[in-house]
Amino acid sequence: MSYAELQVTSNFSFLRGGSHPDELAITAAALGLSAIAITDRNSLAGVVRAHVGAKSAGIRLLVGARLDLQDGPSLLCFPSDRAAYGRLSRLLTVGRRRAPKGECRLSLDDVLSYDRGQIFVILAPPEPDEAFAELLEKLGRDWPGCCYLAGHYLYSGDDRRRLARLAALAEATAMPLVATNDVHYHGPGRRPLQDVLCCIREHCTLAEAGFHLDANAERHLKDAGEMTRLFANYPDAVARTVELAERCRFSLDELRYEYPAEPVPAGRSAQEELQRLTWIGARERYGVVIGTNVRDLLRHELDLIGKLEYAPYFLTVHDIVRFARERGILCQGRGSAANSAVCYCLGITAVDPARLDLLFERFISAERDEPPDIDVDFEHERREEVIQYVYEKYGRTRAGMTATVISYRAKSAIREVGKALGLSLDAVGALADNVWGWGGDQVEGEKVREIGLDPGDPTVAMAIRLARELTGFPRHLSQHVGGFVITRGALSEVVPITNAAMAERTVIEWDKNDLDALGILKIDLLSLGMLTCIHKGFDLIAQHHGRKLSLATVPAEDSAVYDMLCRADSIGVFQVESRAQMTMLPRLRPRNFYDLVIEVAIVRPGPIQGDMVHPYLRRRAGRERLEYPSKDLEDVLGKTLGIPLFQEQAMRIAIVAAGFTPSEADRLRRTMATFRHTGTIHTFRHKMIEGMAARGYDRDFAERCFKQIEGFGEYGFPESHAASFALLVYISAWMKHHYPAVFACALLNSQPMGFYAPAQIVRDAREHGAEVLPVDINHSDWDCTIEAGALRLGLRQIRHFQEVSAEILVAKRGPEHGGGYEGPEDLWRRTGLGVGALEKLADADAWRSTGLDRRQALWTLKRLNQPELPLFAAAQARPPSVHATKEAEVALPDMPIGEQVVQDYASLRLSLKDHPLRLLRPALDRRDIVENEMLLNLRAGAWVTVAGLVLVRQRPATASGVIFITIEDEGAVANIIVRPPVFESHRRIVLSSRLLAARGRLEREGMIIHVLAEELIDLSVDLDRLRENPDATSGQQPFARRCRAGHPRNAHPAAPIPQARSFR
Amino acid sequence: MENQENQNGRRILYLWLPYWPTDRLWRAQQAGRSTPTAELDKSLALALIAARQGGQRVAAVNMAAAEAGIGMGMMLTDARALLPELAVYPMAPEEDARALAGLADWCGRYSPWVSLDGDGAHDSGGQHGICLDVTGCAHLFGGEDAMLADLVRRMHGFAIQARLAIANSLGAAWAVARYGGQGTAIVPANETRAALKRLPVAALRLSPGAADALARLGLGRIGELYALPRGALTARFGREVTYRLDQALAKLSEPLLPRPACTSFWSRLAFAEPIGHRDHIARAAGQLINDLCTVLEREERGARRIELRLYLADGTVQRIKAGLNRASREPAHLLRLLAEHLPSLEAGFGADLMLLMVGQSNPLPAGQRTLDNGETGGIEELAPLLDRLGNRLGAANVARFVPVQSHLPEQAARLAPPLTRAVGEWRHVARRPVYLLPRPELVEAVAEVPDGPPVMFRWRGIAHRVQRGDGPERIAPEWWHDMQAGAARLAGETRDYYRIEDSRGQRYWLYRQGLYDDAMARIPDWYLHGFFA
Repeated sequence: MSYAELQVTSNFSFLRGGSHPDELAITAAALGLSAIAITDRNSLAGVVRAHVGAKSAGIRLLVGARLDLQDGPSLLCFPSDRAAYGRLSRLLTVGRRRAPKGECRLSLDDVLSYDRGQIFVILAPPEPDEAFAELLEKLGRDWPGCCYLAGHYLYSGDDRRRLARLAALAEATAMPLVATNDVHYHGPGRRPLQDVLCCIREHCTLAEAGFHLDANAERHLKDAGEMTRLFANYPDAVARTVELAERCRFSLDELRYEYPAEPVPAGRSAQEELQRLTWIGARERYGVVIGTNVRDLLRHELDLIGKLEYAPYFLTVHDIVRFARERGILCQGRGSAANSAVCYCLGITAVDPARLDLLFERFISAERDEPPDIDVDFEHERREEVIQYVYEKYGRTRAGMTATVISYRAKSAIREVGKALGLSLDAVGALADNVWGWGGDQVEGEKVREIGLDPGDPTVAMAIRLARELTGFPRHLSQHVGGFVITRGALSEVVPITNAAMAERTVIEWDKNDLDALGILKIDLLSLGMLTCIHKGFDLIAQHHGRKLSLATVPAEDSAVYDMLCRADSIGVFQVESRAQMTMLPRLRPRNFYDLVIEVAIVRPGPIQGDMVHPYLRRRAGRERLEYPSKDLEDVLGKTLGIPLFQEQAMRIAIVAAGFTPSEADRLRRTMATFRHTGTIHTFRHKMIEGMAARGYDRDFAERCFKQIEGFGEYGFPESHAASFALLVYISAWMKHHYPAVFACALLNSQPMGFYAPAQIVRDAREHGAEVLPVDINHSDWDCTIEAGALRLGLRQIRHFQEVSAEILVAKRGPEHGGGYEGPEDLWRRTGLGVGALEKLADADAWRSTGLDRRQALWTLKRLNQPELPLFAAAQARPPSVHATKEAEVALPDMPIGEQVVQDYASLRLSLKDHPLRLLRPALDRRDIVENEMLLNLRAGAWVTVAGLVLVRQRPATASGVIFITIEDEGAVANIIVRPPVFESHRRIVLSSRLLAARGRLEREGMIIHVLAEELIDLSVDLDRLRENPDATSGQQPFARRCRAGHPRNAHPAAPIPQARSFR
Repeated sequence: MENQENQNGRRILYLWLPYWPTDRLWRAQQAGRSTPTAELDKSLALALIAARQGGQRVAAVNMAAAEAGIGMGMMLTDARALLPELAVYPMAPEEDARALAGLADWCGRYSPWVSLDGDGAHDSGGQHGICLDVTGCAHLFGGEDAMLADLVRRMHGFAIQARLAIANSLGAAWAVARYGGQGTAIVPANETRAALKRLPVAALRLSPGAADALARLGLGRIGELYALPRGALTARFGREVTYRLDQALAKLSEPLLPRPACTSFWSRLAFAEPIGHRDHIARAAGQLINDLCTVLEREERGARRIELRLYLADGTVQRIKAGLNRASREPAHLLRLLAEHLPSLEAGFGADLMLLMVGQSNPLPAGQRTLDNGETGGIEELAPLLDRLGNRLGAANVARFVPVQSHLPEQAARLAPPLTRAVGEWRHVARRPVYLLPRPELVEAVAEVPDGPPVMFRWRGIAHRVQRGDGPERIAPEWWHDMQAGAARLAGETRDYYRIEDSRGQRYWLYRQGLYDDAMARIPDWYLHGFFA
């Protein structure tokens, strides 16, 4: 006897199924079932994963869905062929598009209009009644021969009676009975997790869940023998499962992707059009005379593209890039196919591959039948225009955004599981925060004990076990940041489309891994803040310096720019402004563009985990002999001194040195990057290391190469990506070096982006000789501007000040409205802005040009607030006059400089007047805290205490728990390194202090100086005290503040100096 | 009665309870009134949390936590990072409010005019306070100093942290208690200005916006407002600032919102030694009633509602309330009404003060006679019967079943008091027997492997031949009650239930404990669990 399971709920019926689709498929294969269906509720979200799993396990998958209707019984729907699949997909699209995100509304009538080619299995309600019998009869007539009635045997006590009743109904309506087991998990061991999922869904604990839970653990996959036994009286019902499965021959492999036709003009083939555009572009790039090597390269690439029929893809990308360029939106492509000469000629990239010797073939090969991959970055503020263009051009029926499957992470999993198990709030919080924090996916008994829980406690142990199981379960579908699918026919016939959370956005049910697995093309339209910044910078340079620039025309290889980078003087520069990069710059000492490519690629998890960084640096510095493990690898690794740094090099090693086929190597990479790391990884590991050992390579080297591939998995950086990014590194560095005011201005106008807050950007600009002018109602625009070569801060810097208010303020300042504002009343009257907005201007001290400081301005403004003059509209006609009642001058107390600075920070997040640390310096001196600048003069190993505002805290995943803190005082920044034991004993200070003192040993590595902290002191209280007392003293007992407030609620007032950015 | 209209002579006591929620919790635990997982040590840092925007945030702290830097509104995670040993409990604003109202009632011993600061339902710490109009009351205690000292001593005894001030306006007492920086303060009537001068403007009970704006203008202290032209202030802040300033300086009257029980007819009896004996209490009550009736007679009124309050030495208040259908000032009748309830009093530590007050009064109509409280109907008629049954059989023996959501039959119902309203549904009624054995009884049974119904079974020595059987209904154990149990044991505890009819037509509910499994060496046992009708 054989059996096919037809009713299977996977965990893509969110919080209803207890197993992954691939787990189900693999288990079904192991049980020897003849086929397995995945029937998630009104969804096809899990079918691709099931498809992949079924394929590798060698079992046939029935693609289907369970249709939960608003007005009828639930149905299982199985498309029998490609066309029927398209109809099912459309049906689900209809149901989902009319419902809010995550829901689906379908009626029986909807099903009837998409029923052709479908095979239905009807699920009887708990109490099948007359009405149901009538419905069965009707459906039997509507769908003759392709409609079945499902029977279950679920150990509910009256299964026999119920089955007899259903069999009688089936008999009466000529609708054959078919056996299913209503599977919710692959094995009985999942029952606890299934119960917990139910609790999460119903927001209750296990103790409260009651009848929401199933009475037993029978909803797992069962083999043919067991099903035959359970349905002993109805052998036909079991046999029919196989019969039904045989009738559904549709496989997801049939979803052949077809490129959209639009980019190809009538009368030409796609290949002809691509060639035409490429040669036109080539002449633009290289001039009329194209060198033979470029010509050969282009011919070669075009041949390959022609052979693989990828021309429409390149044309599609080209069309989008062309649109962006016409609109003046900066963009740049990257991805496996991006650094081809063709893409350079088409304007998709700005990096000349001829210069870099990138081999196109490494990414597109005839052997690997999969679409090429090009991601395009756009200015972040303008990407939406591009997205709307795509929607407009291809229509919503043919273009959709890919989904991102949001899964339970360790932290959310333990939280939910703990709640369901009824652990106390404390315990759940402690487990989630302390044990599972920061991306560590492991819970060790030791850690559990540290937070005061007993790891041997059965409930805690169970919580941890179940949380591990739950980790990786899909939770909901979200919208991918920029992945687009464009089809020739209707997209909804390929995959159901659902509403996204964002209005006017639709999302398909599959994510990029699903699409990859099916070989469906997608284009990532991403946003990149640095492109916005560069665009703004180019505009400012053109406007104020009369020099027109583009990504491709910035003067190349300027040695002064490299000098600057070698000094790690890189605040604001793309990619290389992080702490890790700043540490690397003086060691790597980039002198040309390719060095930047390496710089970008080397500070990545791959090379770091693979321990490739130090060998590379040693060889570069000539301290280690250049040698290659083999002649084969010399070809692969020649450019990087024998050390694999790029993703494709690691892949090539797998091929050249370990004997992988290219498609195996690709599967390896994908296993790392995509689905959960199932057992397959060990096979790959073994194969790679043994393969390399067999070919005479050092085992240690093999091990490191594999580790590197592991690291690349999620954060892969192929050479082409690195090259595209390196160009932006160079251009932003060039701009910073030559036009520091412009660069700072562009950065500020592109916020939020990058690592640094406005205060550091402004400070850095000043250190590079730029003059910075304060925000002022008579001089500032919304954006920061360049004013006679100086940087004028814009109104956008003022916290909570609205852009619309700024527009009105600037518009009414024009000469036709009377020019500059005389004072608060004048401005108020002319702009009609609310007093609240004007107060924000006072908070920012932006009234200086009218002779008022922030207190005086506020005093005047407060008066405007009172609606004592309803006749004011009439008064407007008259020339500006004083209030009807002239009031006596009130002398307000002067604001001490300390408070000025604190208020500046509160409103602008920076101060041009002074640095808080300079004001605190006398107190710091008394505590033997030295200025950061002094560190330069101290010898390595000296004990030292420094203090500063905390700018950035970073905890790179690759630095084994070490935390890097950057602090800033009035003169310079200092880098603090906090090792895990020090962190553990200073947790709160590291995490929350705004002003920090660090005591420790000074370390030097070349030009890089840092303090290896032994002790950390939180001085944030002193910042608050600055407000009142200009010569604040540290060391007063910290209670002073609380006593003054006299009130526990005031113990933590809103911090005027903002928190630093943490751990990015 | 004192003349309340005399503003200048008014004296207000403000009692600020900066750590009320944590103090309340601690007291509750001390009194064993709640069942905490661990007894709190008062010296340990304690925070109460509530779900706020962004997650669990600290809503109240005790002093130890405040000194360690735990502040209101902190994320729980931050607080834990700061102080890993921090004890955390959920905030219970309703209980805080209830207990605060109780404390306010207790404060009635100092003055009948007691009100809560705000509406009393605060959901964060540091906001709780009680205002007392002690005008003319201090002499009962020997002056304001003695009165404050007495209150402080008692608060200390209750382990409630309090800061107190007496001033001639609520605003001033509030400001000095909360911001004065001292435990207690008495502000003489002519020193209000000076006492407020150095306090921050927030002490004027200003809206946060106004207080903040004043601070930004450099006018952070109350004294800095004195010199400013009032017009200039009003032009900028509306009436708010000057209004609050005038209130604090007692230039404007501010009535206290009286608590519901506030009355104009009351009598008071204080004892040197707390009394606890019921007879003594009854005698004292009689004296209070006589005093009160004298007052009522003089005013020609009759009481419709009366309330007797006993202020106990442990800081709690016991009350007896009685309603009258018709107004009365007949001492014997009032006493009879109260006496009915006297046995239920729990005067544990003894009462050191008793108050009798009239909640509602009417002009006394002539010819009042009988008082009767008779109307009944519906379930109320059943209640006396159930009371009598309960008296005779023991209260625990009169009960009804209410459903419990559990698949396990023996846990699917529980006993509840007879008048409990049942919530939830009875499930599987058709499939469950009418009588369930208190404990399943082992039987010998012969059945088809693996899950056929038994063909015969022997129970209490008698063999039954099975005529018909239906099942199984498989019920797995509730694994979360025993998380240590391995999967095998759980499988071993799964039950398969069968409905059985024997050859005599009697119907039984049997189950087999454990599943037949290749791996199971043990042969599962059979049990009889119930009978069908």
